[in-house]
Amino acid sequence: MEVKEWIRGAVLVAQRDLSRFWRNIYWLAGQVAMNIADLVIFAVIFRGLVNPAFIPDYIRFITPGILCLAIFISAFSIGREVGIELRREVTQYLVSLPVTRGALVAGRIMGGVLRGFLYQAGFVILAVVLMSMPSVDKWILILTSSFLLALTMSSLSITLSTLTRDFNLQAAIRSLVYFIFFFVSNVFYPEKALAMRLGSAAPIAYYSPMSMAVNLYRFGFNYTTSVDVLFNLAGLIAWATLSLLFAYKVYIRNLTR
Amino acid sequence: MKSKAVEIVNFTKKFGDFTAVDNLNLEIYENEVFGLLGPNGSGKTTTLLTIATVYKPTSGDIYVFGHSVTREDYVVRKLVGIAFQEPKAMWIDKPYDLLTWHARIVGYSMSDAKKIVREVMELLGLWEHRNKQFYQLSGGTRKKVELAKVLIQKPRVAILDEPTAQVDVLSKHALWDVIKKLRDEGTTVIIATNDMFEAERVCEKIAIIYKGKLRAMGTISELKDSIPRGDVIEIQYEGSRIPEKLFASLEEYGRIETQSSTLRIYVEKGEEKVLDVIDLFRKNNVKILRIMVKEPTLDDVFTYITGAKLREES
Ligand SMILES: Nc1ncnc2c1ncn2[C@@H]1O[C@H](COP(=O)(O)OP(=O)(O)O)[C@@H](O)[C@H]1O
Ligand SMILES: [Mg+2]
Repeated sequence: MEVKEWIRGAVLVAQRDLSRFWRNIYWLAGQVAMNIADLVIFAVIFRGLVNPAFIPDYIRFITPGILCLAIFISAFSIGREVGIELRREVTQYLVSLPVTRGALVAGRIMGGVLRGFLYQAGFVILAVVLMSMPSVDKWILILTSSFLLALTMSSLSITLSTLTRDFNLQAAIRSLVYFIFFFVSNVFYPEKALAMRLGSAAPIAYYSPMSMAVNLYRFGFNYTTSVDVLFNLAGLIAWATLSLLFAYKVYIRNLTR
Repeated sequence: MKSKAVEIVNFTKKFGDFTAVDNLNLEIYENEVFGLLGPNGSGKTTTLLTIATVYKPTSGDIYVFGHSVTREDYVVRKLVGIAFQEPKAMWIDKPYDLLTWHARIVGYSMSDAKKIVREVMELLGLWEHRNKQFYQLSGGTRKKVELAKVLIQKPRVAILDEPTAQVDVLSKHALWDVIKKLRDEGTTVIIATNDMFEAERVCEKIAIIYKGKLRAMGTISELKDSIPRGDVIEIQYEGSRIPEKLFASLEEYGRIETQSSTLRIYVEKGEEKVLDVIDLFRKNNVKILRIMVKEPTLDDVFTYITGAKLREES
């Protein structure tokens, strides 16, 4: 009975976040446009900055990165709303509802995960078209990676938005996180180029959840076979677990004063 | 013997160094309409939010039907429903969607949710606004959406934080009837207000809190009787000041409160004293514009207890 109540609460909270996602339709359209612009810009930068010898086919190289970007933008968007709600004190309403704190947080994080999944779906189809059709076990790997990455991004964004009520600071933090994830990772740069450019900062890229996910996608969509699947998968699981625990702690602590 | 719906025990809430509520003790019995009365900033909202488990007590505890808000917050949330002072919604939210989701999360099935939401929205005159976005609604309509949440939920304990603020006078009367009906159907209602008229109209028991402290508690007639001298002689006089000598003579009759050019004397047997008072004014050459003897209102009770005028501060 208790468990059923718990799940019901969490599902309804997630549903609320998901339906809001579709209602921010203009914002979403803007993000899609930015995604595509990023794709083009990075492709251009690529030609100039990176030795073409490192990347035989840059569209096929970049497409898994776009999958990461899609998750980031959609799953991370949950934090934007958590932040607005916090400032307008809508959160007081949420914590007054007959739902356990655990179910509330779980529902919110799941809301972010679902946003990530659904938003990414279109780009996954694009990847199949541009790259190749994965086998069943690779599909499982791809979906698992998406889930773990979405979980990490959703949790991180909830944590970061809850840390401060200052909207400008929130926006700055989001930009910084975006920068670190996409410029200090092998999402848009191949590993070799990265090692050259980043020098001693290269380990950051190595342990970035974005790098791990993009490696798994590149493996999944048959771009490359030289990927340590176990290391990257374990790394993503660690990222997801840690950020989940962190989000739970911080959200609860900040919402009930 | 009615059971205790809410028991507030040594409840203190601090925000940093600031004490918003200071060692509050209150008992609210089942099926009462209980009023929390006090000017803005006296700690009403803070208290209500703690009952609803939004805030945690800094010290002390609050029990809802015996369940502690600190240790059994989830159980408490299943018993309590709250209509917030500031309506809680995002700007693009639509009342119908908000309320349907609310009905679902408080336990209704989808089909029952649709039914009850329509029923309550029609009752409050919200149905025509159901698909407007929140920012398009007037302040009063937003408050009604907030109240609708509680009416949908039908909780054991309903908390209404200034439910009729910003609502027009006609609607106020309708809402008071709705609130009484909620009580008749078995809900204990706690209302925070700084509207004396509202308190007299709907509340059976009242606690007056001021600057975070409980100042008085009882039924309305108990509170009125608690003023040691039963009547109030209210005098509006010409000019802005009362001569010292006149003031001193008046003080012999009872405690005096002044406010611009109105003076109130708390006396026993007002109708006998009033002639003496008129005489004193005439001797001191202060012209009386209006004079009356009245039973104390809740306003007078409040003024007497806190030495402050409620309307001025709020
Ligand atoms: N979250 C908060 N942080 C700091 N101070 C607060 C907070 N909430 C309320 N206060 C302060 O506590 C006092 C009581 O506020 P409140 O409970 O809202 O009073 P009321 O509802 O009676 O108007 C006020 O002085 C208010 O400024
Ligand atoms: Mg208040």
